[in-house]
Amino acid sequence: MYDSSQFLHYATIASTIIANSISVGIGQGLTSFSAIQSINRQPQAKNDIIRVSIIGMTLIETVAILAVLIAIILIVNTSEEATYYTHLSEIGIACALCLTGFVVGLVSALPAQAATHAIARQPHYAQKIFAFMLMTQVLIQTPIISAFIVSWFIQVQSASTVVISDCLRLIASGLCVGIGSIGPTIGLSLFAKAAIQGIGTNPRSYNKLLSFTFISEAIIETPIIFCLIIAVALLFIVQKPLDQSPIEGVIFIASALCLGFGTLGPGISSGKTGAAACTQISYNPESASILSRTSMLAQGLIETVVIYALLLSLLMILFK
Amino acid sequence: MNSTEFIETPQWSLSPWLGYEHPFLSVNSEIIIHTWIIMFLLGLALTIINCVLTKTKIGRFIVLHGVAFFIDLTTQSLGHFVFNHCVFAASLFFFIALCNIASIIPWLDEPTRDINTALSVGIISFLYVQIYSIKTQGLGKYIGALFKPFFIMFPLNVIGKLSSIISSSFRLFGNIFGGSIITKLYFTAIQTSLLTQLFGIFSGFNILIVLFFTLFEGLLQAFVFAMLTLTFLSLGASDESSH
Repeated sequence: MYDSSQFLHYATIASTIIANSISVGIGQGLTSFSAIQSINRQPQAKNDIIRVSIIGMTLIETVAILAVLIAIILIVNTSEEATYYTHLSEIGIACALCLTGFVVGLVSALPAQAATHAIARQPHYAQKIFAFMLMTQVLIQTPIISAFIVSWFIQVQSASTVVISDCLRLIASGLCVGIGSIGPTIGLSLFAKAAIQGIGTNPRSYNKLLSFTFISEAIIETPIIFCLIIAVALLFIVQKPLDQSPIEGVIFIASALCLGFGTLGPGISSGKTGAAACTQISYNPESASILSRTSMLAQGLIETVVIYALLLSLLMILFK
Repeated sequence: MNSTEFIETPQWSLSPWLGYEHPFLSVNSEIIIHTWIIMFLLGLALTIINCVLTKTKIGRFIVLHGVAFFIDLTTQSLGHFVFNHCVFAASLFFFIALCNIASIIPWLDEPTRDINTALSVGIISFLYVQIYSIKTQGLGKYIGALFKPFFIMFPLNVIGKLSSIISSSFRLFGNIFGGSIITKLYFTAIQTSLLTQLFGIFSGFNILIVLFFTLFEGLLQAFVFAMLTLTFLSLGASDESSH
């Protein structure tokens, strides 16, 4: 029999696949485009450039693989007793995976592009540039992994939802991870691009850039971790609402939006701060310690804004 | 799969014959025991290094390199070498690193997966930094700096100082908690059939997951924690030189 809520179920599956495949396709296209440009500029380094671009494209592909995995889980677990509320709470999965996957697939092409250009410029340091790109791209994949975990838990819990505010709780959990990881992911990839360009400019600054990159990327990705904490708190720690009125669900959505939009600006600006420091360290490796100290202090101050958003949304959830 | 099994913990509560129960008086027993085991292992390892390893030539070489690494780290982030700060940062690094990678030891869980351990480490680091900056600047200047642009800014400055506890401890907690959830999900998913178990063992996927999410993340977060403590210390020192 035709049921309008089935539409939501299949729309979730379809939108997950569509958003992720579009972004992965664009990202891989950009990477191979810049690989061809680099080979044109430096034909001797052909083998290294091809290897780096293929590994970069494989890492971008991870996004699509995780999305397909969730889509398969959703298709296989379709049960006959699924209610309207089950299908409604699956919108949370679409929010988490579509927004995160779209951004991650697009922006994780930036470090791969920068790596191919850097190898064309410094063919003798191909091994170091390759290791650096691998590390930064793996760190950029963090939000899609957290979105994957949250989607899995939403899928497990959605079978037992009976009221509208419970559905809104699951949607809020997905929304928090989805919106919250846009800004920090863009920041991470801007930072990674600047760091790899820095090695391409001055390979002798490799050691200084490496330790700075570890610390700075950990600071930039902290908002993603905060979003994961709020999403897990929404999934497990808050009491499940039982009455029919949607007001508790609206509070959950508000807290998710508060943290999600709160990380947007700080994530991008923190990434830009670190990127500027990276460029200057590559020009001036002698003054790396004062540059990295100043950049870390600025990033710590920028992060204070995210902590205000985190505290507000925690208070909203716990003292509702 | 029961979805709440990842956050449930056994509790020790205050003896019921006292007639008073409160959530603040109950203790997470598993975490306490595991922390004490880790402290014992750390002490044992350091004693062995001190008594046995430094007597051989190769051992002394390795230990000297390790010490030189921490001296370099302190000098780079503070601008000059301070013995107390170096020892403090190194002990924070070793304790947090062993707490983060504790799940590679059989029968142990990461204590930093619990928010209480992460918060306590964050508060220790915060108090050390604040007491050091009070010592170097003097109490009057320290309190005066809180009223710096206008007196209205006082609450914002206090929140700004306190937010460093939340940022450092929640970063540690969230990373380790997320990593432990991922590894547990992976190993529950793989144990559903013999075929997937064999695949996991022979493709090297098990080792890869543990390597990345336990060893790499744990050591990275411990390093970041120690480095940020040193950076905050350098902020206290730079205030002194600028006035």
